[in-house]
Order: sequence, then structure tokens, then C-alpha cells
Amino acid sequence: MFNIVINGKKVKAQDGTTILDAIQALKIEIPTLCYHKELSPFGACRLCSVEVKTNGKWQIATSCNTPVENDMEIRTDTDAAKASRKAAAELLYYKYPETQAVKEIAQKLGVDVSPEKAEGHDCILCGLCVRTCKEIVGVSALTFQDRGRGRDIDKPEIIFDPNVCIGCGSCAYVCPTGYVKMETDGDRRIIWDKVFKMTACPVCGRYFAPEDQLKYIGKTIGTPLSALTTCVDCR
Amino acid sequence: MNKVAFSSWNGKVVDNRNGKATKGITVNLPAPGGEVAAMMGWSGLVAKDSKADIPSLTFNYLKEARKISCGECSVCMIGIDRLMEIIGRIADGKGSKADLSEMQDIVKQVSENSKCSFGQSALYPVLDAVKYYKADFAALISGEKKLAKRAYGVTVTAPCIDACPAGLDIPGYIELIRNNRFDESLKLIRRDCVLPGVIGRTCTHPCENACVRKDMDESLAIRLLKRAAADADFEQGSRPFGLPVKEKDEKVAIIGAGPAGLAAACQLRLKGYGVTIFESLPHAGGMAAVGIPDYRLPADILTHEIDLIKRMGVEIKLNAKIEKLNVKDLKKDGYSAVFVAVGAHQGNKIGVKGEDAGYEGFVDGVKFLRDMNLGTKIEPAGKVMIVGGGNVALDCARSCVRLGFKKVEIIYRRSLAEMPASDEEIEGAKEEGISIRFLAVPVKIIAKNGKVTGAECIKMKLGKPDESGRRRPVPVKGSEFTVKTDMIIAAIGQRPELPAMDKKITTTNWGTIQADPVTLKTDMDGVFAGGDCVSGPATLIEALNMGNRAADGIDAYLQGTDSAEQVSFEGVDLCKQRGRGFVVSNPAGDVPFLDPKVRSGNFEEVEGGFSATEAIREAQRCLRCYRVVVWEQA
Repeated sequence: MFNIVINGKKVKAQDGTTILDAIQALKIEIPTLCYHKELSPFGACRLCSVEVKTNGKWQIATSCNTPVENDMEIRTDTDAAKASRKAAAELLYYKYPETQAVKEIAQKLGVDVSPEKAEGHDCILCGLCVRTCKEIVGVSALTFQDRGRGRDIDKPEIIFDPNVCIGCGSCAYVCPTGYVKMETDGDRRIIWDKVFKMTACPVCGRYFAPEDQLKYIGKTIGTPLSALTTCVDCR
Repeated sequence: MNKVAFSSWNGKVVDNRNGKATKGITVNLPAPGGEVAAMMGWSGLVAKDSKADIPSLTFNYLKEARKISCGECSVCMIGIDRLMEIIGRIADGKGSKADLSEMQDIVKQVSENSKCSFGQSALYPVLDAVKYYKADFAALISGEKKLAKRAYGVTVTAPCIDACPAGLDIPGYIELIRNNRFDESLKLIRRDCVLPGVIGRTCTHPCENACVRKDMDESLAIRLLKRAAADADFEQGSRPFGLPVKEKDEKVAIIGAGPAGLAAACQLRLKGYGVTIFESLPHAGGMAAVGIPDYRLPADILTHEIDLIKRMGVEIKLNAKIEKLNVKDLKKDGYSAVFVAVGAHQGNKIGVKGEDAGYEGFVDGVKFLRDMNLGTKIEPAGKVMIVGGGNVALDCARSCVRLGFKKVEIIYRRSLAEMPASDEEIEGAKEEGISIRFLAVPVKIIAKNGKVTGAECIKMKLGKPDESGRRRPVPVKGSEFTVKTDMIIAAIGQRPELPAMDKKITTTNWGTIQADPVTLKTDMDGVFAGGDCVSGPATLIEALNMGNRAADGIDAYLQGTDSAEQVSFEGVDLCKQRGRGFVVSNPAGDVPFLDPKVRSGNFEEVEGGFSATEAIREAQRCLRCYRVVVWEQA
């Protein structure tokens, strides 16, 4: 157990937890876009920034991916911390004004936003889909295509590998902006433009999962495919 | 660039624009080839010529910075886009004064809140431009001026890239590993390093010493990341090198199939030249084949990587020693240029009585390693004494342990602090029970019936530093002592054995060939030289880099073009940056090592590699300290 100070208040925090965990335990609200409690933190959106005292100086740090240390001093409510979060939201809103999730957070953080309805579905590179696919699904069909030296990429994006995707749809579920689309229609599911064949339950006849996903589950847990083709409700 | 109109380098402002020159200012700056009117880099803005167009320079700098801003954290990527949009608007005469303060705000927020070193540092010079060249931006806003169109140069580096003799794009290939793109990472590595599996195991990794994390927690394990990319490829059946887009008519002869020769061969082949390598030994690989024992570099790794080069159409003639280099004959055989890369395979004399007597049990280190690697059976004697403190001495000693010598002792004339061998080698040797006798040197070999039985040694003390900066060892009078030993291996450096030449080629006092440091041209027309036979005994990566450069030099020579000018960062502190974000302490990942008890009796590879997951985790530690420099040409 560590002793830490948040906004002048002494609190306890468990070893291995982050500043964001400690802040949330205190019910201090800091909106986030790229954070998910089941995934490793990534620090993409920079919306959760707070001030941390380092060598006697206050420094901006993202709370989601900064582990707590004993005697750490944190401030969430100073002008500098607020300005940092607002600036991050301002930039995101500048880039993705049509994306509702961005607009909502920007508004919450005091950015002047347009009264018109936001109807876009931009990829904001939060990486939730990439981490879900890797850490929860265990497949890694999604990766970042970063810009870099000599790589000549104008707009960095998420790259989809159709050869390993199992069509589970977790990425679409976790995407905060609606950029990742999944359409299921009868025996077909389309995700990232790849078409998956759905399996129908022999008992109830419902199309409940893509074949590729069942094969993957069967391989991972060592169960024959025949045992998985019946849907959970009818098993 | 010492006399400047304005400088904000490292945040230290020097302003001579009002005519009053500030005296005694020297700023260490990157020196691009050619004349520079003004430059903008990660650490500031420097204008040499007061006529330089700073707003235009700023715009061009941002354009280049944008290419490096990866996009994984939003503030840096979007911040740069926003700054460019504002300057664009100002340049169109549609700006306002408020735009300038917004620019300053963006720079401040991006610098404070970016995820990597690049975003934390790169925008400071933009702040300087807006702050100190306000009038120039105001002239654009009022429409008095337009954004000038000038010629700009650009270079990108990083502390690790600059420290690497071959200038590998280290943050680049680490980033690709981080994103689980091992194949693309290897492709990027291979661009400058044709033996990634070999270098990933044996490199002395100056990059890691330059790593910014070194002083925070621990340097990135860069060498092991390179190995991880190479190993992943090896396990997946290997991707071939590319083939030349267009074949060329000319052929190039290369003498020596070591790292320099192989690198030049591969690069020349990619440019479309026909390449033949003449190798005197029965194996290709040079020092990587016969100088490094298998427990550090398994033979199959080297063979595999040489095979990939051969598959590109590079011909390697083994057991083909060139006794006399006759350029005319080579030209007759259709070779338009020659690259001499014969290495340094002759052991230096230690200068003791008896070393030329031909005693059984006395051998030089490089010959010992060569014989062993070529399969000569070496009978372990009881005790062996290795003279020297470099990596060759350590390779000999650790090999002797594996060959079954009962007692292995290194004798080194200075102390541990001056020992040139790498720390991990010294550590490994100690674990294997090798003792090191410091501050002593043999003066006479004792032999009986033509066979070594011992050595007369003398104790040394450290005197004043010599030209290498290390304290010079001085013998202590009357401190002679005798050591019993069955074998002595002298490993105190090596020199090249050059082929005879039909014309005289200029050589140095060290017996090495003199070659141009950039093009590697010698004073003999059509002859280039590189690797240890030019530099003297150096590292594999240095030799490899000379091979890369020679390929460029030979290409320029054969095509009649000029070699590209290099930007030098000498004397510039690349680690220093004006903004540094909060860095969470997170030491480097570990790899498994064979237990000393298990490894002593065999030549199994001692060090393990990262798994893919471990490599990705390690890659996430990279701070991405890319440095962009853009300059307006004068």
C-alpha cells in the first residue's frame, strides 16, 4: 500500500495501480477516450492529464498510464492541469468536429462547440480496438500504421489483417466513435470489409457466431468444433 | 555556424540582429553540407543570414516534423496539423494577431502533454520563431509580405541513430516491433545492416550507450530487439532480400567475404551490379566466421544470412586467395571496380623474448580462434594464459573453458576500468571461472624442449594518460615473477595482411590502407577499400557500414555522379532537449542465459533472445527521440 496525496488529500493506493485508479476511487471525474479498465493503458488521447510533482517540480502526466509511487503528489484541479486537458480536447475537436464522442468530451472540458448535431464516425486512433483484439481476443488482427521516418504516410490509421481476423466483432463493440462497423445479416457478417460466414444453431436455427470465431475458440480451448456449433442458449 | 544573426539553440537566446554583436558565443550545431542561411532543429532556431525567411522555414520545418509525428498520441499529430493550418492561413493574408498567441499556446500544450520525446521537444523552435520573429509573421498577416519559396534541406536523426556506426533507423525499427510488424522492422534494419541476426548477437551496441533512457532507468535493449526481428524472420522461413529493379552492365570484384565485403556485395547487387567475392578461407563471413566463437554467434545464423545474400546472385569464390592484386587483369576479366576488404587477421606481436622461437604452446589470438572455428582439433593443455584485455582475449579465454582447459587466466597490463572488452563478456568470463590478473605483463616466455612451460612476468602500475586517454601502464622495477603455464595466447590486437599490388597503394603507419572516409576510394583508380584493413581492428557494424558506403562510392564512381553530402552532428548533444515529459521508471526486459555450469563444456549459444511478446514490451519503452533539422540553403 502506498501513501499518496491527491489535491492535498492524503489517500492510500495499492501498488501496481495507476493515478487514474486513485482519482476514480475519489470520485473525481476526468473524462477519457482511450482508456478501458480491462485493457492496458495506452495514453493516446491525453485527456486524463494531471499534474505530478517530480523532483520538486509540477509536471503534466497522463494519469491512465502512470503507476502510483509512494509519497507521490498529484493535482487534478489546477489551472495547468485543466488547461492541459482542455487543450487536448480542443485539438481532438478541431480534428474530429463531427464525431459525437469527441464533441461531448470537448464540451464537458469547456471547449466552445457547434450546436449542430455531430454525425461523423472518425477513427480517432484511440487504439481501443487494437488492444482489445490483442489482449482480450488474442488475435492481433489490428495494428497501428504509424507515421515515421521515410515511411511517407500522410494519415496514420489502423491496419486490418483479414488473414487472422475471426470476425468476433469485439473491435466494433469497443470503438467509441462508431468508426468500426459491423453488419450481420442472416448467414453473413461484414466487418472491416471482410465477409464472414455465420454458423446457424442446429437446435434453434439462429445464426449466432462466425465460423472462423468458433474454429478459433475450438483451437484455443481444445474443444472439437462440433461441440461449439450449438448456440449457448440451446446447449 | 559560430557567427549568427540570431540563435535560440538549447533555449539560450543570442540576438545580434540589432547590429551589436554578442562576443564570444559559440553554439554547437549540426553542420549540414553546403551553406546555410538559417536552420531550425529540435533545440532551437538559428539564423546566420538576417535575410533568411523564418516564417517559411517554420512552415517547412513543421512539414518535415509532421512526417515523424507518429499519430499514436493525439496532441502531437493534431497540434502540428493545426500549426500548419494557421501558418497557411497567415500566409494567405487571412491571419490575425490572435493566431500568433494561439500558436504559442499549442506549442506549450503539445510539448507538455505529448507521449514521446519527439512531441515533447520538436515544437520549441516554432515557439522561438513566433516569439522572436513576430514582425515577420505580422508582415504576412498585414499582407505586406508573402511566404518566400526557398530551397530547404532536411535531416532526421536521434541519439541512437547518430551513435550507430551504420546509422540504422533505430526508433523506426523499434516502433515497428512495438506495433507487432516484425517483418517490416527487419526490412528497415536490412536497409543498412545486411546481417541482422549476426549484429543482433555480437554488436558492441554504441546505440545503447547513447540511449536517453540510460540515465533514467536503463537503456533500451536495442541489440536484442534487432535480434528479435531477425529471429522472427528465421523462424518463419525467411524473407529474401529484394532483387535489383534494373540490372547494370558493370561487375564489381570484392576481396574478402567479411562483414564489409558482404555488405558492399549486397548493396551493389541491389543497385543492379554483378558481384563476385574472392575469399581466401574455406568459409565466408570473415571475422564473424573465424573470429567469433559459436557460443556467441551460432554458425547457422551466419550461414543463413550469407545464403540470403548469395540468393541475390552474389557469387562467392571460397579458397580464392588473391596473392597479388592486379587491377588491369581484373578489368580484363570484366570487373569495373574493386573493393578490398581483406580484414585484419594477423595477430600483433607482444614484444616478449621468445615469441618468435616457434615454441609449441604459443599462438596468437586471432589464429587460435580461426583454427578453432575452421575445425582444427585443439587439445586442451592444463593451464592457458591469455595476454590482452579486449574482446578477442575474452573470446579466446571463454573458448578455452569450453575446450576443456583446466585453468584459464587472462593477464592484462592495466586495470579493470581500462579493459576494452565489453562488460557482458567480462561478466560472462568470471561466471565461467576465468581469472583475470590485472596490472601485469609477460616479459619472457619460458620453454623446455621447445614447449612452453611458463612465463616471466612483471607487475605494472598506472602512470599518466596516454594518447588513448587511458592511463599508461609502467613496469614496477624488481617486481618480476614467474607463472607456470602450458600455453600462452597473445591477443593484443591485429593488423591486416594486404595482398601485393601491381601499383603502390597508400598505406598508413598501422599497415592499413588509406581510403577516403566517405567514398572509401583509395589513391588507385577504381580501387576502393574498407573494413578492418582500412580502420584497423574494429567492430562488425563499423566494417559493415564501410561496406555500405563503399557500395555508394563505387556506384557514384561507375555512374560518374557525386556522393551525397553528410550532415555532421559532431559536438552536438543529441540527448539534450528543452522539454521532457514525465517518464515512468521501467527497466529493460531480461533474456535467459545458459547456466555457467551447463555452458562451460560446450559451444551452445549462451544468451537467449526475446520472445515476440517480450520484444513488443521492450519496444514500448522507446522514448522516440527523433530530431528533425531543416535548413534554408544560402
